[in-house]
Amino acid sequence: EPLPPHVTPNPLSSFPVPCVHAGLPKPTNITFSSINMENILQWSPPEGLQGAEVTDTVRYFIYGQKKWLSKSECRNILRTYCNLSAETSDYEHQYYARVKAVWGTNCSKGAQTGRFYPFLEKVALTTDKKSISIVLTYNVSIYNTKANKTWSQCVTNQMLVLSWLEPDTLYCVHVASFVPGPPRLAQPSEKQCVSTLKDPASALKVKILFWYVLPASVTVS
Amino acid sequence: GQEFQFGSCRVEGVVLQELWAAFRAVKDVVQAQDNITGVRLLRKEVLQNVSDAESCYLIQALLKFYLDTVFKNYHGKAAEFRILKSFSTLANNFIAITSRLRPSQENEMFSISESARRRFLLFQREFKQLDVEAALTKAFGEVDILLTWMEKFYQ
Amino acid sequence: DGVAVLTAPQNLSVQSTNMKHLLTWSPVVVPGEIIDYFVEYQGEYESLYMSHIWIPSSWCSPTENPECDITDDITATVLYNLRVRATLGSQTSAWSTLKHPFNRNSTILTPPGLEVSKDGFHLVIKLEDLGPQFEFLVAYWRREPGAKEHIKMVRNGGVPVLLETAEPGAAYCVKAQTFVKAIGRHSAFSQAECVKLQGEALSL
Repeated sequence: EPLPPHVTPNPLSSFPVPCVHAGLPKPTNITFSSINMENILQWSPPEGLQGAEVTDTVRYFIYGQKKWLSKSECRNILRTYCNLSAETSDYEHQYYARVKAVWGTNCSKGAQTGRFYPFLEKVALTTDKKSISIVLTYNVSIYNTKANKTWSQCVTNQMLVLSWLEPDTLYCVHVASFVPGPPRLAQPSEKQCVSTLKDPASALKVKILFWYVLPASVTVS
Repeated sequence: GQEFQFGSCRVEGVVLQELWAAFRAVKDVVQAQDNITGVRLLRKEVLQNVSDAESCYLIQALLKFYLDTVFKNYHGKAAEFRILKSFSTLANNFIAITSRLRPSQENEMFSISESARRRFLLFQREFKQLDVEAALTKAFGEVDILLTWMEKFYQ
Repeated sequence: DGVAVLTAPQNLSVQSTNMKHLLTWSPVVVPGEIIDYFVEYQGEYESLYMSHIWIPSSWCSPTENPECDITDDITATVLYNLRVRATLGSQTSAWSTLKHPFNRNSTILTPPGLEVSKDGFHLVIKLEDLGPQFEFLVAYWRREPGAKEHIKMVRNGGVPVLLETAEPGAAYCVKAQTFVKAIGRHSAFSQAECVKLQGEALSL
């Protein structure tokens, strides 16, 4: 049953697996990382237990609520990451997560994250009163290798047609996304290049298609 | 250019990214001091589904509370944690906003302003149930929730 | 505790252009000695709610020059009080305070630098990099009677931006002005610069 208000949940009560709290070292470097719409909890194994059969158990907590919640796919696991995207999908909530190390019947205290706020981390989030709308602007950089000139263009839809290109010229493109709102990190995509035909008469068009997943990966056809 | 439009209240001359940058610089330090993770002051009942008409009254009440109570009494902690610069940026931009808000005082707006006041009282009541220092730390740590809501009116 | 024997800095003033704010004062001179200056600021919030609180400037606490770039300290469009004092070892002057508080909305906005070039049939512009506070409104038109003026917003300067893919032989003219969200003001337009595709830039 939920805890009375104004009581911070007891760390040990949040882990159902019966284990003895035996001063095992905690996992370290526990953080959420948010890449391309996915919220991944990552951590480093506890120091000093190399070679031991140590597993980890993850719990997460919604700021302002009362109960620690578990994810069965991340109980007693050997890997040091857990995908909590589904569990942290409400962008207006803030979250904590904990990981404890278990060795046999002994367990460590839980190593806890700071307060994780998907709205600040995720690329692509602006919310209006009733819904979440995703407004993406792509900053496309085009490099004319023959003229050694670069220029850029901002577009909001997912296809850009560049016309009137010079014949027999290698053009290279890379794309970075930009989203209004809190400053967010967005790596540019890989560079993609294409050569225009030798025949000057063909007013060649290059279509640059952006995949939906950011950072945009670019296909030049 | 971008400006705040809280219903009929329009506010120019505030760059929301400056506020986000100031809070981001101190978020981890401030939120790490808040151990009462089971309480959220700016709950969904306070900020969800606020009508445009209500928003001017609510933002005025919230910012005034932050200026008069939260920032005023949290200043010592801000100096202790060496975050005065960000603290000053947030406080002075809140001043810039409140000084430009002109909520309508007409009678037919009474029910709307009352609805906004009830939302604010939800927040204030929750604040008062906590120990003062814990409440100040929690309120300052929830500025990102406030900025997120304000972002919805930044056009 | 230092005794205030040093004369306080005089003639404090702020020169602000394109959202770069420079506080200057007359130097305090003690022959053969290096004087350190300490600059502090308080915004409208501090002066209204806690007037005894002053915040050390980001770059000039201390500094040896009789000037201080306070741009990073002025982070809201409200009035700011500024003060300076001189120190020499344990000797400290009184504080000198700027006579009139400074508000960044008084900054002088100059027309932006503008380079127009072409890459084949692509008309490309590069605007002066004035920092993150600046956006640009670019107006361009074909240089022919009755031509329609087109408008384009450019988010940041310092990078070449495609303005238009033009037809062979077309001549275009371009001018630009800055816009600063933080103060809701824009500059005058720059001089128009024209270029003929497949030809050299024509200056007016």
